[in-house]
Amino acid sequence: MNFPGIVSPYNEDLLRGLSGHSVAVRVQDPADAAAAAACARQSGSRLVCVLIESDSPLSEIELPEDSRGIPLALAVPSAGRFRSFAGRLKHLRQFNLRVYLSCSRPENILSLRILSSVGIHGCAVIERGVKHWEEIADLMTYAMLERAHHASIEPFTFIADNYDPFSHIDWAFFYFDDPKSFLHLDIEGRVALSREDLAKERFVARNLCEIADPDQFPPIQEWLRRRREYFVGLHPCASCAGWKLCLGKYETSRGPECSAFFIEMIEVARRFKALRARNGEAQIWQP
Amino acid sequence: MANVLLTTRCNRSCPYCFAKSEMSATPARNLISWENLIYIADFLKFSGQRHISLLGGEPTLHPDCVDFILYLLERDFDVAVFTNGMLSPARLEEFASHLTDVPVEQLTFVCNLNDPVQTPASKKETQRVHRFLSVLGPWTSAGFNIYRPDFTLDFLFDLINRHGMKRQLRLGVAHPVPGSPGGSIHPDEMAHIVQRLCSHRPQFDSFRVKPGLDCGFPICKFSDEQLGWLHRFRGAVHFGCGPAFDISPDMSVYYCFPLSNFQRKSLFEFDSVEQIDSHFARIRSLLKAEVAGIYSECDGCMHQEEGVCGGGGLCQVLNRFTGEASVRLTEIEHELSRHRQPV
Repeated sequence: MNFPGIVSPYNEDLLRGLSGHSVAVRVQDPADAAAAAACARQSGSRLVCVLIESDSPLSEIELPEDSRGIPLALAVPSAGRFRSFAGRLKHLRQFNLRVYLSCSRPENILSLRILSSVGIHGCAVIERGVKHWEEIADLMTYAMLERAHHASIEPFTFIADNYDPFSHIDWAFFYFDDPKSFLHLDIEGRVALSREDLAKERFVARNLCEIADPDQFPPIQEWLRRRREYFVGLHPCASCAGWKLCLGKYETSRGPECSAFFIEMIEVARRFKALRARNGEAQIWQP
Repeated sequence: MANVLLTTRCNRSCPYCFAKSEMSATPARNLISWENLIYIADFLKFSGQRHISLLGGEPTLHPDCVDFILYLLERDFDVAVFTNGMLSPARLEEFASHLTDVPVEQLTFVCNLNDPVQTPASKKETQRVHRFLSVLGPWTSAGFNIYRPDFTLDFLFDLINRHGMKRQLRLGVAHPVPGSPGGSIHPDEMAHIVQRLCSHRPQFDSFRVKPGLDCGFPICKFSDEQLGWLHRFRGAVHFGCGPAFDISPDMSVYYCFPLSNFQRKSLFEFDSVEQIDSHFARIRSLLKAEVAGIYSECDGCMHQEEGVCGGGGLCQVLNRFTGEASVRLTEIEHELSRHRQPV
């Protein structure tokens, strides 16, 4: 396993210590994005993106000109009414931007579709306990099969592109929630395996130096082992046809809806692949 | 071209309304959803369309009407909104604050205006229309539906001048809903209608207003001189009936309002606009094979054969067929009986 990327808060001292790592820098204010990116680059790390976690809706976000070209993951609670951001779409399209919206609110699911149709890339954040599986399924179908040009909606576009009937797909890195792909630092440099662990201050190391080899690091080994437990313990998820796409992510909310959603996603991804093979070209437009 | 019905609700009751069958009082089904609008926009884009018309009912009654217009403009459509102009002050303010930066070439309100003498409205309604025109006049062209032979257009030229409206006037004839009585212009009245329309030529000329004819006018009722006059404004004038199809909030597709119950299908049954056009072309040719036009002279008419004239609107043709002709096509018979229309 390569050393996972690091999600770090914007702190010059911390970033200086991450030379040689792949880094996503976390900021709250979009105005800090350019400085955070510059700091990460100067420290000799490879910038994955700047993750802006804002409490304001998209309609109130001002992206400064100096953050053009920087890969931006913008997590907002909502988009707002179309009229409130319609005038900014041209401006937004000039950024290397992906908008993250939680699917726990149906209006966000709709916003992701609207944004995609006007050329803004999005990411549907499907949390555990989500209820609107039908709406998410519609969004997924739109992302994978809509023939008119539209921007990507992750993780669906990734799944469509990488679907393999004989293998599973892990797409948790879109949410920065996969310790094989990302580890999370707090402001003191302590290490957590996921965003949730970070928020709950469940740390696995006092600093990165304690993780010399991630393959041999017990908490990561334990995390990998837990996936096998589904099969060892004959968990109902392990016998679900949708497993190879969900990998037990929604175990706590497991029910017929979640299962139906992932099985439907397999079918849609299969149709996407068949269409692409027939047309010989990508179905989803990328700018 | 496609007409998209944002809602089937309307706040006006015109005596000639040929969309009545589409009007509904049940709120649950009469507003188009964002998802359906995006589907339609994608469908039209994929088919290479660049123009979209928003209709109702009264489309401005949809709470997201402004957002829809902005969205479709963002998708690079030219948008026409067919409205009666009776917007509440709050709604008008919403339109004014969000749409008055849009270039007039991209957005047109077609305001269907009724003669204040022949079709009187309440003072409040009239005030609302005037307020609408005073704010959005430069984005607006006038529309007028002829539903009685003694119509006049004088009041329209006054409004066009007073409010700086676009210099075009869409003229339609009130169409029959096949099998339903009343409210429409009879084919025998068409010659008189055309003469009366052309009597307004000095006003069209002096105010430089372009007349635009909707489907239903037969070419044979115009003199060569009148045709030349129309040609001078708009180039070749089309007297056929191949209107933009209508898409209702429940995603049904039909030929036009008067034929909304005839061979109605779901948009999801089609892959492209071309397929929809073919579907309706087939229906048109089926009907025209039975009855050529609204007059018996339409059969064998040179203009009909050359495709210059449709022999009146298809709904007028079907109306004649319904009342006068024997039914020979089982498909048509079935459709008509399904909707309990007398054959």
